[in-house]
Amino acid sequence: MEPAPQSSAPVSRRQFLRNGARLLTMTGLGVAAGALATRSTAAAWVWQIDPAKCLHCGNCATRCVLEQSAVKCVHAYSVCGYCQLCTGFFAPEPNELTTAAENQLCPTAAIKRSYVEDPYYEYKIDENLCIGCAKCVEGCNRFGNGSLFLQIRHDRCLNCNECAIARACPGEAVRRVPADRPYLLKTTSR
Amino acid sequence: MKNFPPQRALWLTAWIAGLFCALVCAVMVVEHFAAATEDPWKSPQLLALKEKLAAEPNNQPLEKEIRRLDLQFRQKFRRRLALDRTGAWLLLGGALALALAAGKAAALGETPPLPQPKSDAGEQFLKQAARARGSVAALAVVVAGSLAVIVLVNTSVLPANMAGGQKPAGENGAEAAAVETAPTLSEFQANWPRFRGWDGGGVAAQTNCGTNVVWSSPIPAPGHSSPVVWDGRVFISGGTAAKREVFCYSATNGALLWQRAVENVPGSPAKAQAVPEDTTYAASTPATDGRRVYAIFGNGDLAAINLDGSVAWTKFLGPMKNVYGYATSLAVWGTNLFVQLDQGDTPAEGSRLISLQGASGRILWERSRPVPASWATPIVAEPAGKTQIITLANPWVIGYAAAGGEELWRAQLLESEVVPSPVFADGLVFLLSPGARLIALRPDGAGDVTTTRVAWTAEGDIPDIVSPISHDGLVFTVTGGGIVKCFGTADGKKFWDKFVDVDVDASPGIVGDRLIIVGKSGLLVMLRAGREFQEIGRCQLPDKFEASPAFAGGYIFLRGATNLYCLGPNGAK
Amino acid sequence: MLRRLKFIGALGALLLLAFLASAEPRFPPPDFVDTNHLIPSPATPAARQLWLQYADTGVFLAALGTAVWLIYQKRSRRGIFWLSLFSLAYFGFYRKGCICPIGSPQNVVYGLFNPEYAVPVTVLIFCFAPIVTALFAGRAFCAGVCPQGALQDFMLIKPVKVPFWLEQALGVVPYVFLGAGLIYAATGTGFVVCRYDPFVPFFRLSGGTFILTAGALFLVAGMFVGRPYCRFLCPYGGLLRLASLAAKWRVRVTPDTCTQCRLCEQSCPFGAMREPAPAAHPGALGAERRRLGWMLALLPVLVAAGAWAGGRFSPAAAQVNPAVALAERYTRQQKTPVQYGLMTPEALSLERAADNPEAVLKAAADLRHRFDLACLLFGGWIGLVIGVKLVALSVRPGRTDYEPDRGACLSCARCFTSCPNERVRLGWMPAPDKPAAS
Repeated sequence: MEPAPQSSAPVSRRQFLRNGARLLTMTGLGVAAGALATRSTAAAWVWQIDPAKCLHCGNCATRCVLEQSAVKCVHAYSVCGYCQLCTGFFAPEPNELTTAAENQLCPTAAIKRSYVEDPYYEYKIDENLCIGCAKCVEGCNRFGNGSLFLQIRHDRCLNCNECAIARACPGEAVRRVPADRPYLLKTTSR
Repeated sequence: MKNFPPQRALWLTAWIAGLFCALVCAVMVVEHFAAATEDPWKSPQLLALKEKLAAEPNNQPLEKEIRRLDLQFRQKFRRRLALDRTGAWLLLGGALALALAAGKAAALGETPPLPQPKSDAGEQFLKQAARARGSVAALAVVVAGSLAVIVLVNTSVLPANMAGGQKPAGENGAEAAAVETAPTLSEFQANWPRFRGWDGGGVAAQTNCGTNVVWSSPIPAPGHSSPVVWDGRVFISGGTAAKREVFCYSATNGALLWQRAVENVPGSPAKAQAVPEDTTYAASTPATDGRRVYAIFGNGDLAAINLDGSVAWTKFLGPMKNVYGYATSLAVWGTNLFVQLDQGDTPAEGSRLISLQGASGRILWERSRPVPASWATPIVAEPAGKTQIITLANPWVIGYAAAGGEELWRAQLLESEVVPSPVFADGLVFLLSPGARLIALRPDGAGDVTTTRVAWTAEGDIPDIVSPISHDGLVFTVTGGGIVKCFGTADGKKFWDKFVDVDVDASPGIVGDRLIIVGKSGLLVMLRAGREFQEIGRCQLPDKFEASPAFAGGYIFLRGATNLYCLGPNGAK
Repeated sequence: MLRRLKFIGALGALLLLAFLASAEPRFPPPDFVDTNHLIPSPATPAARQLWLQYADTGVFLAALGTAVWLIYQKRSRRGIFWLSLFSLAYFGFYRKGCICPIGSPQNVVYGLFNPEYAVPVTVLIFCFAPIVTALFAGRAFCAGVCPQGALQDFMLIKPVKVPFWLEQALGVVPYVFLGAGLIYAATGTGFVVCRYDPFVPFFRLSGGTFILTAGALFLVAGMFVGRPYCRFLCPYGGLLRLASLAAKWRVRVTPDTCTQCRLCEQSCPFGAMREPAPAAHPGALGAERRRLGWMLALLPVLVAAGAWAGGRFSPAAAQVNPAVALAERYTRQQKTPVQYGLMTPEALSLERAADNPEAVLKAAADLRHRFDLACLLFGGWIGLVIGVKLVALSVRPGRTDYEPDRGACLSCARCFTSCPNERVRLGWMPAPDKPAAS
């Protein structure tokens, strides 16, 4: 079934104007697309936290649109000192160096401490428990080697067009990175 | 009529679905608000208990309580997350049921259209168009009004037409700073630019001087700050709650060259905060880099005054939370100024170390410090070529990099309210844990060096106010009651220990081989600064002294309760 | 103790040392001599694969094509209904409503004015495909493909007619939102259209209290007022409306000729149905022409007034930008210092600003320049929209049939079955010249 035919003289003037407008718009869109094509990318962008700019403020835990933030603490084991008194694991001036609740810094007990050999302990993060509050990151960076840092995990992140965490970050640390290299991992102390 | 029962059933389904959605919504909302204080990292209850545990470390039942609560909160947190997830799915299902049922019921209940005759279509058309034009105009007014309200509510403090590269408000002269040259090390050493001299050590560059009063000038405002001297001028600060000032005297004849009030500092309350009378508003010794004099007062006003008496810049760093009144003196390095701003009775009340650019007052960096208030003055030292600022507060001795402020090392060596300042000599930092021990610390470590960098300690009759002093391989301590001890810097071997009958608050100075102790009542005692005890002499000055001596140009400058004194060789003028 | 060092030369060396010192770890890396423990590497779960993004684009284009076919060829309401349900499920709940065409003009504008961002090809397709479709076939996207629209459509139970004057006035709001979205995107401030999308939090099954409440209110309103977001807020809808005005084909209620039976008058739940314009009274023609003249003369005045007002609005608008907000907070702190809690985001951002205030203020100054121009254009744009709206309301449309307005019609195909000619075509009614089947 064809669309009903247009008819009568006044309409065809409008039809002419319409055709003109359509042509103009298509040209405009073409120009815009052309201007962008040189700066277009086949790949997509994803969000990531730059550990060099992160101020460990704790906004990551509360600002993500997800109920449990897509930001998790990540451990750069090669930078870690494997200290018995880990300032990212233990609260300042802990009672004892045990995993009791009053000694831990992490509010959800997401850091698992395991003995390797004297005097080294390994600290692993359980991402299902981590909320991305940056308390351990603060402790590690202030007094330790700075091997703990926050990263957006892409198996959880929805990749919103505007990241709510990026908007609230006081260090402007959250930025777009290419999707094929989606992590900004720490390899040195600072 | 045929469709009656199914339509009713559908409406019923729709209502039930709607109520179900509302119920699930209500439950989730209530749960959210109830949980606001129970998230494991937000709970004030848990925080309070943990603080209590810090005060009573071995309280077993308290530990158990904390663990129980912590587990409870964490479980609640996970349950809440799970509830939110299931709630969301339930809501989705409910909304779907509602939409389907209600939509179908409404469709079933639709009446076919029955267009009524229209008589005045033409007039209606015009009226409709006119009304629409009016409402569009009304919307334009509403949009304009809303924008106007937003503009009025959000007043901007940035200037309306900002040229690119606007200089920070209130900080002119940043360009001048780039052109200005920093003073050289020898200039620093030749003058007395801060509390206890260029390196805070208290040792004069000159090797001999007399104790004859060459001149004395009255000081118009009270204060306990020590004088600082640069290039023939002596600078003093003084003040009361009403007014605080910096004074400049000529070193040759004591004439008052200028006095400058520090007032109208932006942000500083018109009524200065109360400071204990014993401490005074001008307890902190000023500092100078030969370009400006910097002074800080007990109400938090920091001022930089040019050498001609005009104000370069001011800054308000308060309010000061200090039970005895702020008394830490300023430190300078090159043309940078350091302010150790330790606050409060607990370690988390905003204590910080600030580095400012002397020319402009721009803050270069600021580091939070995990300490309560302290009354010791920091020193700048260069062990192994790395320039550090060494700070003391209870319980941490912390060394920061002078350039960028990074914390280099810290040691937990102090035990009570810290008043004596440290000194750096023979590669060691000598500091006092007030009333407890003298510690010699090697400042070349990294991280927590509490157990690894202490060279030696000495106990017994340790001062709690007077700072130590070191020269020529020896370090001396003086208690407030007048017990003077001498130790070797290398190993802490005690050479002598004598009671010299003088009550003293001021820190001692060394000129040549003389240890000069300035007593509270004006009694000046001179001992030989050597391995054997020898009292060289005493003299009585007609004033009371809390401030420490300054040495420059062959003279001693002393700030008394009423006058500024210049002491020199006999017959000097 | 006395050293011969030149302070200025030493300064450079010391800064270098401090820099080097800061890169060394405080605690040296461990030597696992006893257990030969292997140091693990952190896990790096990959982002969504690229081919899936292109698959999404393929599904999108297919859905658009299907919508056009369903509206013009098949003329099937049922078809559009099921297509919109599929779109709700795929683009809404599976893809969580992101990337969506509603926000994509912001990405395009952001890419045009900020060289560090390259617009992905998928986003370009999401942005331009519905507009190109609208230039030929009207708002087929709105009916069949948009998940936000599908959600509202689904929740529509008993449509209430919005009076014409209110509809016209509220019809300006999408353009205001579009303008605001584009200036904030162009200045790199953020994507406000995405920020204030009320339905995406439902797709994500989580969100902030404010936006979830707003979304719920929209859905509840949408039960009675058809598609409130689409008609009165959606900025992309504004663009599609403009594009549809130039469409090659248009949605016709009747498959062939209009018999002026008026049965379709109340059939559009979205207020898009229009009547043929009554003939003008010859005497009143002069007054109408004069009115049109005034409106045309008013147009440039409104644009100029809008541009002026926009310029005044610039400092307030700029404060949404985080860099400008930081400069404002820093300057305010210099004048009237506020004690922020230790380690709070405000205190940390002020510390960062205090490290290099000149750079912060310079960045803010540059942004303020951009905002001055952008807000000028924004104000002029609003003036233009209002002026054109007034002109359009002073022109007599040359309509002879009952048909939906080109720009307002969402192509939902609900009106088709109200036309007797359509019912004849579908075989639900016998043709008028054929005897009725007994």
